[in-house]
Amino acid sequence: MESFVIILLSIFGVYLALGVLFSIIYLWKGISKVDSKTEESGFFFKILLFPGMCFFWILFLMKWMKSSNA
Amino acid sequence: MSDNYTSILWNKQKKRYDMILWAGIVLLLLSFTAFQFVLYKDITVETLIIRATALTAIVLLHIILAIGPLSRIDSRFLPILYNRRHLGVSMFLLALIHSAFSIIQFHVLGDTNPIVSVFTSNIKYDSISEFPFQTLGFFSIIILFVMAATSHDFWLRNLSPKVWKGLHMSVYLAYAMIILHVALGTLQYESHPVYWVLLILGFVIITGLHIFTGIIERRRLNGDKTDLIENGFYEVCSVRDLKENCATTVFVNGENIAIFKYDGKLSAVHNVCKHQMGPLGEGKIIDGCITCPWHGYQYRPEDGQSPPPFTEKIKTYEVKMINDMIWVNPSPKQEGTFVEPAKVKTS
Repeated sequence: MESFVIILLSIFGVYLALGVLFSIIYLWKGISKVDSKTEESGFFFKILLFPGMCFFWILFLMKWMKSSNA
Repeated sequence: MSDNYTSILWNKQKKRYDMILWAGIVLLLLSFTAFQFVLYKDITVETLIIRATALTAIVLLHIILAIGPLSRIDSRFLPILYNRRHLGVSMFLLALIHSAFSIIQFHVLGDTNPIVSVFTSNIKYDSISEFPFQTLGFFSIIILFVMAATSHDFWLRNLSPKVWKGLHMSVYLAYAMIILHVALGTLQYESHPVYWVLLILGFVIITGLHIFTGIIERRRLNGDKTDLIENGFYEVCSVRDLKENCATTVFVNGENIAIFKYDGKLSAVHNVCKHQMGPLGEGKIIDGCITCPWHGYQYRPEDGQSPPPFTEKIKTYEVKMINDMIWVNPSPKQEGTFVEPAKVKTS
């Protein structure tokens, strides 16, 4: 049981760590390319988005890649 | 409503709302703290924080869940509904403090990682009296975190309204887990029946409100079906039943329609706001536009389009008047289509 929990939590931890990394880059560089309404949004707005971005980062990675290809 | 995102769209009403909210939270926390010191003179600060934040968070959660149905029953609750996300985020913050202190108090001093310990310190899932209620609390805080983290229009747009709504409906799953978390936790640590009474009372009130509102909504919507059809139109109600700048709503052929009376005219639009699916029919005409009662999104009644520079559009419907009676054709026009308003002629 303990090994199983450790494995699951480790996978989730790695996922979140990648999310943190992605979110920093995305909120700095990519977000305005994907959603034009963020172009003039302030720094505090991006801080507000950060926690959720760490969770949903895969979705926004795909959106960013899609908008780059377009 | 705004063109660019801002962190929080502060206005006088929101600031007042938050002041009252946090005054209430502080009052409840302090009252409970005083009460605990009277009952348990040797209580530690950590235990006090765990209990006080738990109680305040669960009270807030019940208020949050009650507001929706109450607003349907009585429109005087709508002002509380408008800024419900502030309530939700506040409730999450309190629940987070409770979770953090609980993990520190009960799981930090062992050899195992504290988070792993939440799942492995008690694995008696086949027992009710010793059920590992902590895992229920853990999963519910994850749900509440996701909801708090996505409480902004940015997420509504980027996740899509349907996905966002689905995500936020998981509050009911979180609520069920929290009820079980408290029930199974109380069973293990508290013998006084007052905790059970309060918990069951809260659950019954929330469940009862939802069932009651569901029944009256279904009756109201289904009760509008008529057997008078003229060229595809359905009779709705007398124009005298409508107040100026207000609407009546009807559910016909799967279409949820709001019919507004304004400036001697009638227009019919889809009763669901594009923003967060608010009930437009419960809003009013302000500055010539249908204004959603939830967050103030606006649409012109004659074509269902938001005034420039906004671009939201909703479906429109044909409407006419015959002998004081309002008739609507439930076949929708494409979103943003102009439909000549019916002129109000009373006999």
